[in-house]
Amino acid sequence: MTALPATHSAARQRRRRPGSALIRRRLAPYLFVLPFLAIFFAFSVYPLVFTARLSFTNWRGTGAAEWVGWDNYTYLLSNPGFWGSLGNSAVLWLLIVPIQLVLGVIVAVLLNSATLRLRGMYRVAFIVPFVTPLVAVAQIWIVLFDQQYGAVNAVLGGLGLPDVGWLTTSEWSKPTLALLFLWKTTGFIVIILLSGLQSIDNSLYEAADLDGASRVRQIWSITVPLLRRTIMFAVVLQTLAVFQMFAEPFVVTQGGPYNSTTTAGYYLYNHITRADLGTGAANSFLLVILVMALSLLFVRTLRAKD
Amino acid sequence: MADMTLTERDQRETSAPSTSATELGPVGARGSRRSQLRIGTHAFLLLLMAGFLAPVAWALVSSFKPANDIIRAPLSFDPSTFTLDNYVAMFHDVPIAHGFLNTAIVLIAKGAITMFFAPLAAYAFAKYEFVGKNIIFGAVLITLMLPTIVLIIPLLLEMKTFGWVNTYQALILPGAVDAFAIFWMRQVISAVPDELLDAARVDGCSEFGIFWRVIVPVIRPGLAGLAVLTIMNIYNDFVWPVVIASSEQMATLQVVLSTLAQNITGNRIGADYATVTGELLAASSVALIPLLVLFIVLQRHFINGILAGSVKG
Amino acid sequence: MHRHIKRRGARLAAIGAIAVGAMALTACGPDVTGGGAEAGDDRLQAPTAQGPEGEITIWDRSGDLFEVFEAAIDDFNEKYPNITVNHEAVDIDAKLQNTLITGTDVPDGVFLDDAKVGGFAEYLWDLSDVLDPYVADIAPQKVDVNSVDGGIYGVPFDLDPGLLWYNAAALESAGVDATQIETYDDLIDAARAYQAAKPGSKPIHLEQSAFLGQLQLEMYANQLGTSIADENGDLRLDSPEYEQILTFLDTVQSEGLGTRAEYLSPTDIAELENGNQVFYPWAIWFSFAPQQLLPETSGDWRAMELPAWEAEGARSGAMGGSSFVLPKDGENSELAWLFYEFLMFDEAGYTAVWGPNDIYPTGLNTSIPSYSPAANPSAPLFEPVDALGGQDLWAVATEAGAQIPGGTPIPSWWAGAVDYLGNDVQRMLDGDLTPDQVLTGSTEAIQTNLIDRQ
Repeated sequence: MTALPATHSAARQRRRRPGSALIRRRLAPYLFVLPFLAIFFAFSVYPLVFTARLSFTNWRGTGAAEWVGWDNYTYLLSNPGFWGSLGNSAVLWLLIVPIQLVLGVIVAVLLNSATLRLRGMYRVAFIVPFVTPLVAVAQIWIVLFDQQYGAVNAVLGGLGLPDVGWLTTSEWSKPTLALLFLWKTTGFIVIILLSGLQSIDNSLYEAADLDGASRVRQIWSITVPLLRRTIMFAVVLQTLAVFQMFAEPFVVTQGGPYNSTTTAGYYLYNHITRADLGTGAANSFLLVILVMALSLLFVRTLRAKD
Repeated sequence: MADMTLTERDQRETSAPSTSATELGPVGARGSRRSQLRIGTHAFLLLLMAGFLAPVAWALVSSFKPANDIIRAPLSFDPSTFTLDNYVAMFHDVPIAHGFLNTAIVLIAKGAITMFFAPLAAYAFAKYEFVGKNIIFGAVLITLMLPTIVLIIPLLLEMKTFGWVNTYQALILPGAVDAFAIFWMRQVISAVPDELLDAARVDGCSEFGIFWRVIVPVIRPGLAGLAVLTIMNIYNDFVWPVVIASSEQMATLQVVLSTLAQNITGNRIGADYATVTGELLAASSVALIPLLVLFIVLQRHFINGILAGSVKG
Repeated sequence: MHRHIKRRGARLAAIGAIAVGAMALTACGPDVTGGGAEAGDDRLQAPTAQGPEGEITIWDRSGDLFEVFEAAIDDFNEKYPNITVNHEAVDIDAKLQNTLITGTDVPDGVFLDDAKVGGFAEYLWDLSDVLDPYVADIAPQKVDVNSVDGGIYGVPFDLDPGLLWYNAAALESAGVDATQIETYDDLIDAARAYQAAKPGSKPIHLEQSAFLGQLQLEMYANQLGTSIADENGDLRLDSPEYEQILTFLDTVQSEGLGTRAEYLSPTDIAELENGNQVFYPWAIWFSFAPQQLLPETSGDWRAMELPAWEAEGARSGAMGGSSFVLPKDGENSELAWLFYEFLMFDEAGYTAVWGPNDIYPTGLNTSIPSYSPAANPSAPLFEPVDALGGQDLWAVATEAGAQIPGGTPIPSWWAGAVDYLGNDVQRMLDGDLTPDQVLTGSTEAIQTNLIDRQ
């Protein structure tokens, strides 16, 4: 691994390049971002600002909107349902993200090995759930996790374990939903991690191999530290995904039993279906603040291990 | 916000891409311990693979069972009752072929826009200074954190103003070059050493030429990854298409599926519950195939891309 | 040093984004001052022209019912040859709200759950005038669920009378005569007797889905002439009627007489098939279970009127049901009215819907018409059902349907109440709440979170 000199390239450029090239270089980024900006402003920023304004009204999709100030926000912040939905998402996060990272790193490292046979087959296999339409997944889950006649409990019964009310008790509904999410999205995390693994210099492993370091030790002391940036990225992405999670509870549990799977994203959707658009908008901005804070926290924590 | 991005310190950590393409794994003869390890690896991966494939296998197998049996005896399969009824009924009842066509149109147009303009913009964010850069990137991050469902009503009203309801534009443009693509491509491009760009400039490359001839080849694995995710997102997206494509002519594949599923998830009441479940599983199986084939093809590029990127580096 | 700069950049970015937002606030967003819809011009009138012509777009859910309506279009065109019907299978729950908000490509007629009609009323035609010739002959419960502030916003489609479904063969072999059941007390006695004859059985179905459980609760309440809220939208949950119903459910649960399962889930089906679950107080649409999902006990099942809450009380209440709504932004609403008028109130129309057809060779027997001339007990539209041992379900259902009390509107927030009332009923069935706690707790939660947020 050759250390790169941390020279500030822009400064160097200024010394070497004639004026016209410099002008072109100054102009280039504006041209590069322009197409993106056009789409971004039209279809992201505009609706975002609209939503921001909506969050201070009681608009129900028709007629006149009444300005209600912070009313939607104070209603949510004093509502046990709102805090309950955040709690549900937090529990799901704990059930999903750590497991997914460990599993994702292991699988990505194994699949990254050039000497592994059948690598293509495995890659396809792990991506299959990600490709399966969610509406089909919902039916699959409902049947496989039925308390008395589902395949999962049949296997448990064979092992002499008691039946579990996977989708019918508030204790088990979150793990069941987490399992669905893990099953569906781990392939995605593997892809992200695989692309991160590409940037690791293999001479490091070769050196470690010569030193006689075991494979597990190599993963822990070479791969994980060098993947830190990619892992951080995955954590942030999955944090967003878990707190915004909506489609999964929508198709499998409809938020139940007893709102135990009413995630932050699903709770928000409830306002929108009731045409309570202002409260829905306020709810989503509260979520943005929370998710932003969490993301920064993770980034700091992972950086701190330098 | 910018803390989330790459600092030079990280750049040094990650170093240049590998110089050796073939020896990705540690090499060295350690005889039986190695083969044990290899067997263990395969056992682990096979087991995991079984877990990942079993639910889908169930859906595939069930789609060939009589509809009532799927509900009544979900775990049994009697080969003598093998039937194509669910498929026949599904092809008769829902315009799935038309759904495929619409999905293909959207996929190609939206995918092409995203795959070209996202890396280009991300390149500007990663390697240039320009006025408003941080503000715009901050806004990108906010949209990334905003649950998309909340934007649907404002977007719909906008589509109405443009007269775009039930048009391909409405399916293609919103969500193209999405915040995630920018965010991720910026991460990937940030990892490319500035020295490569400077060297290209010395060689007389134009700014766009640097992007096209230096950046794109080096980040090819990342691009392949972006392609996979973009394709899947577009293919599987149903919330926005369901909302904006209310006419049958504009229905994408997922709209067709969700129309079927509505009878099950939203409304388990009714005589045709079993029939619809059968049709849904048949439709899902059909929907799965093109993407699987595409991925099998793409994943070869994925690996090739990795090699190409490594060699160039 | 470098990091410090980056961090300041972050702060700048955040401030900048807020500034962009603040500037744009004045430029876009919902119209805060715009006027609402004017009253008076939202009552649909029937077309007066001879030989009406034009095109209408009709949304229905996909599935068998779609096929039934599709087939009925041919009959409609015999009467109105110049009206072209574009019939589309649509994910209505997902699309209707957004389509109405944008007002673009709005269909002329939409199939909609009764419980959702109230929520869309301001986008819909008031059908009071066109329904006027028929309204006296429509089941009062169906008129009520489509009524908001004196207007009627849906053409009533089906009536779904609650019936007591029972496994006649299993009960007979246990020496229990179900036909003697007249009140819910009788039902509990019969369940006890069956359980004594078949130890381990749990004879009465207790619904485990919060949504369907609440729907069933409203069926019981409808029987008593009440519903969750009155015509002014005021809650009337904390009442002797609801107390009586919940006490009944609580008794079934606490005495171990009930099978807790979600409607027709694998567990539910197995318990129906093995004779552990023999009483199923449910709407007429349960009829498809013995016909399609219960091969072991098919032929053993029968339907009868629900037990009464007190002697001589009504023997049925409605559970579920749908109507057809006509959005004001539709292009040819008056032609869509002709379509629904034909389907529901013209003999050729309702015969095409409920009578034998290609999709249902013996007729559509999961609901009955809500228009009483069509629901004549002695003039059946669908045939006796083999899976019910050849029972004349038509007669049972229409006689039960005729007893369904009115005065039971559905508030627009009904589905949202599942988070409170539906869940609390399930908690009671878990043994965690008393009927009183359910009623007081749900009343307060619904008032705060749904009614006060209107």
